[in-house]
Amino acid sequence: MTRQIDLEADIHRLLVEDDRIAEQGVTVHHRENVLVLDGEVESAQRRDEICRQISEHYPDLEIVCDIGLTRTQAPAEVEEIS
Amino acid sequence: MIRIAAVGDVHVDKDVEGRYRPALEQLPDQADALLIAGDLTRHGTVDEAKCFANEFGGLAVPVVTVLGNHDHQSDRQDDVTDVLTDAGIIVLEGTATVLELNGHRLGVAGTKGFGGGFAGACASNFGEREMKDFVGTTERYATALLDALRSVQCDALVALTHYSPVPDTLAGEPLEIYAFLGCYQLGQAIDDAPTALALHGHAHHGSERGRTPGGVPVRNVAHPVIKQAYNVYQLLSGTVDTKHEELVNV
Ligand SMILES: [Fe+2]
Ligand SMILES: [Fe+2]
Repeated sequence: MTRQIDLEADIHRLLVEDDRIAEQGVTVHHRENVLVLDGEVESAQRRDEICRQISEHYPDLEIVCDIGLTRTQAPAEVEEIS
Repeated sequence: MIRIAAVGDVHVDKDVEGRYRPALEQLPDQADALLIAGDLTRHGTVDEAKCFANEFGGLAVPVVTVLGNHDHQSDRQDDVTDVLTDAGIIVLEGTATVLELNGHRLGVAGTKGFGGGFAGACASNFGEREMKDFVGTTERYATALLDALRSVQCDALVALTHYSPVPDTLAGEPLEIYAFLGCYQLGQAIDDAPTALALHGHAHHGSERGRTPGGVPVRNVAHPVIKQAYNVYQLLSGTVDTKHEELVNV
């Protein structure tokens, strides 16, 4: 259990501190031999780079990438502040 | 009335250029100004700042920003600020600006802010030098925000920060990291001035709505939270607007 949590922490730090990634908004869950990645990033290149870096560092892990791209459409409504 | 478009955490680099532009071109129909709540870039480099200025500069409405922690990553925050300022983008840090919009004066006071935690779970200015430095930083940013908020005369006052002034808008983040996402001192500063609305980012997994203990509405506009190019908030509803002639004649 401890090792599992350590692995999540190690991967989380890799996602933030690796200059090619620098993502604080991606969550990491590790079950059995499967790593599930969740969250939203700003481009498809960033999502692919995250998976590439993790596969390189942890070749034995199966990666499930549920990372989405944050949508950039204009809003349809206005909120009145009172 | 005044309509404010707001977003945070756009984390621009080359790969993002062009993504926001179609929605930004619609801005003049949607809002009178655009406020951006920090984490403008990925690593705070000058090149990334230029990408941000390309994407968010040259718009038909004024753009007001604060920096975020990502914009400090390369220790080039002063150069980043210069690049944005040269592109006509306003960058606030312990400062305020007043925009004349539809005959109303919108005051925006901004700071990056810092972590420190919230009531019952906050760091104290006590013990090791490192801890006192941490909380000293929290307090310095909060004081800068209060001074900025109190420095303006306006019809509607908005506080713009990167870190959160309340825990409400962090719901969805792990409780263990709340102290790294904001501090109650920013909320106190907002309550100690006649603030109408507080906008922040940084908490990508947080939630949109909250209030300070004094009742000021708080909105987390981090891009992954609002899930669109920007949100629009309307202030001074029910007031009489005066428009520029060219706008009236359109
Ligand atoms: Fe961010
Ligand atoms: Fe941030």
